[in-house]
Amino acid sequence: MTDQAVLEVSDLRAWYGEGQALHGMDFTVRRGEVVSLLGRNGAGKSTTLRAMMGLMRRATGQIRLRGADILGRKPEYIGAQGLAWCPEERGIFTSLTVAENLRLPPVVAKSGLTEEELLALFPNLAERWRSSGGKLSGGEQQMLAIARILRTGADILLLDEPTEGLAPVIVQQIAEVIRTIKARGLTVVLVEQNYRFAARLADRHYVVEHGRVIDCMDRAELAADGSRVEHYLKA
Amino acid sequence: MTELLGFPPALLYGQVLIGLINGLFYAMMSMGVAIIFGMLRIGNFVHGAQYMLGAFGAWFLASLPQLFPGLGLPELGYWWALILVPPAVAVVGAITEQLFIRRVYDLEHAYGLLLTVGLAFVIEGLFNVKFGAAGQQYGVPEALRGGVNLGFMLLPIYRVWVIFAALAVCIGTWAVIERTRLGAYLRAATENPDLVRAFGINVPRMLMLTYAFGVGLAGLTGVMAAPIYQVSPQMGQSIIITIFAVVVIGGMGSIAGAIVAGIGLGIIEGLTKVFWPEASSTIIFICMALVLILRPQGLFGKETSAHSGADITIARRESILENGRIWIPVLAVIGVILPYVVYPVFAMKILCFALFACAYNLVFGYVGLLAFGHAAFFGASAYGAAHIASVWGWPPELAILGGTLLATAIGALFGWLAIRRQGLYFAMITLALAQIVVFYAVQAGWTHGEDGIQSVPRGVLFGVFDLNDTMTMYFFVLAVFLLGFAFIYRLLRSPFGQVLKAIRDNDQRAVSLGYSTERFKLIAFTLSAMLAGVAGGMKAIVFQIASLADLHFMTSADALLMTLIGGVGTILGPVVGAAIVVTLQREFAEFGAWVIVVQGAAFVLCVLFLRQGVVGTLESWLGRRADRMREAAATGAADVTPGE
Repeated sequence: MTDQAVLEVSDLRAWYGEGQALHGMDFTVRRGEVVSLLGRNGAGKSTTLRAMMGLMRRATGQIRLRGADILGRKPEYIGAQGLAWCPEERGIFTSLTVAENLRLPPVVAKSGLTEEELLALFPNLAERWRSSGGKLSGGEQQMLAIARILRTGADILLLDEPTEGLAPVIVQQIAEVIRTIKARGLTVVLVEQNYRFAARLADRHYVVEHGRVIDCMDRAELAADGSRVEHYLKA
Repeated sequence: MTELLGFPPALLYGQVLIGLINGLFYAMMSMGVAIIFGMLRIGNFVHGAQYMLGAFGAWFLASLPQLFPGLGLPELGYWWALILVPPAVAVVGAITEQLFIRRVYDLEHAYGLLLTVGLAFVIEGLFNVKFGAAGQQYGVPEALRGGVNLGFMLLPIYRVWVIFAALAVCIGTWAVIERTRLGAYLRAATENPDLVRAFGINVPRMLMLTYAFGVGLAGLTGVMAAPIYQVSPQMGQSIIITIFAVVVIGGMGSIAGAIVAGIGLGIIEGLTKVFWPEASSTIIFICMALVLILRPQGLFGKETSAHSGADITIARRESILENGRIWIPVLAVIGVILPYVVYPVFAMKILCFALFACAYNLVFGYVGLLAFGHAAFFGASAYGAAHIASVWGWPPELAILGGTLLATAIGALFGWLAIRRQGLYFAMITLALAQIVVFYAVQAGWTHGEDGIQSVPRGVLFGVFDLNDTMTMYFFVLAVFLLGFAFIYRLLRSPFGQVLKAIRDNDQRAVSLGYSTERFKLIAFTLSAMLAGVAGGMKAIVFQIASLADLHFMTSADALLMTLIGGVGTILGPVVGAAIVVTLQREFAEFGAWVIVVQGAAFVLCVLFLRQGVVGTLESWLGRRADRMREAAATGAADVTPGE
């Protein structure tokens, strides 16, 4: 492959207080790729994203964003570099309206979607424009959370379990959205427990366990042999 | 119509207007507190002192020629003050945030409150040292002198200006927070600061500016208040507890709630002066109690998540320092030797306060409730015991018992009201409720107002022991202290105590296990009030006086400081803390006004550097040493294991 790596994570270790959550994560993401981090609950997937956003107080190793190490940088700096994070609990602000939520993150690059484009992509949000973020359904919250970061022009999206707890029809919609994002040339890091969902979207997969990457496979490999991942993910 | 509801309308309208003006000051202050609480989760007790800084700033600018006669400085009047002082106070706020406040963001809310209480003591104490307690006069600006005749009263023009200016500030602030992009950032950062940071917004700086803005509002309020109220170091302290009550009524963190509650309560207070003058100083606190019963989250408040005090306590249960079987006899031996080493009266003071602090630790350390009004129980019992002993002439044991019953009853009532909220709310509510008792004691006949009840007879205990003999008195106090200490120790080791710990560690889980956590908390709170009552009643007999000082908020703060210095949630901590604080108070007594500065500094230093307290730190150190020795023993054993 000739595509350059936009994200290179190497030997990433991180702690919550005294407890170590990451024990040396290594993975690479190339421009325009959708890469998934698969693993069970508590494997360290979400922590990896938090560490990439500079939100882990104690972390060592390297996180190179377009070649520059961002480990130890403040979250506000990392956010302004075009890395956008969509947390597991979606992070919709309940005291803000849908419109305020959408407009909250500052634009970091001109390449972002306009409000019209976003509302075309997420028609539900237009209907709920003035309602409070707390009144949205889970699916609408997830849509808003993704729409919100697409507006900013960030070109690397970290999506933490976007399908968790959602109805199959909504999951389908989110898959469509992620395909659209990819078609626009954006890079996506997708954290998932639902590997079937990830298998439909991601170019490559990393399996995470006990805070380390323990296996890596591409789309074809996973398609050929789903049991390999199932083996890791079964409780 | 010459009368309205039996009162001359002029009086009524006049009080409503005065109430409106006071209410606007409440609104401006509460708004600052609500913004700071909403965004930073800090209960900014130092807000009163910052308001005082604003008023002093205005006075300072006007007095430049007198203060620095040699420099030929001009006298800068009200309008200059209005422009210069609020930003200056805001800068002081920003520096305060950088140096102190930001260090406690990640800690339990109790520490934020304690830190700001300490800062308030330091600032107010320093001004007291420099300027004395007496107030300074600040003139009404030239352009706003004179009055408007409204028919029923002459309204000074300055007050008309205050009404309009304050309303404008309130509405403007509300609009900025609720209607602008900056406000949206602030509201979002309240909910999820990490995510807002990840969006590329510098949240730490925003928090600093928010704090500075809230403090600047206090400064502005101070400047506007300077021509109306006396400019004195205490002016903030007398308003801050009221402001906390207003914020609780309005709904913590709600800007609109703070404004509406502030103005409304000011007017209600004014009307109370007409209809029920005796209650005018307590009406706001009574309103707060009513709101808590009817709508615990406050008028405009949303139900927020509960904040338990889970990370406050640090006692190592297995530590040798937590073993009562060792320490009760040791304390008894120390207690027997003590009066031969120090003055017996001083030793009795330590024991009374040690029991008080132990009682306090029961709720703060073991249930995780930041109570801030334990002086009410201590003082009520002191008054009760003093009255029974001196007026009814009953023997000391019955006097203390009577005082204790009174404290227990008040404790049960306050607990029943306050238990509806947790964390910082609980602190503000208990503080405000305790204030009702203070105002009652100021006004009631039998408490003798400022004088208190003096020359309380010590009497003859059980008809046998004459307590006028100092050593007899001392050993009685020691016995009561040891009994109280042993009672708390047994209580905590009982199944009841285990449930309390479970509640403290995880309220929700305790509920899911089927415990009625509120009932357990209420029982613990009432027991704590009872023991504080024992300490207070005993203190009244020992020192033969019950006074307003026993009820004062400072006494509640003393209990907290003792517990904190000694070690929250440790059995010995409060005793050690009481000994340290009572000794410090005596050593610094000769420096007069400096005592309060030192006490405030102790608060700040403890919160920043000694959160485990003396005993807690010692326990950690012993625990780590034991761990190391165990590890060494294990590796040593592994080394000599043959094979492998």
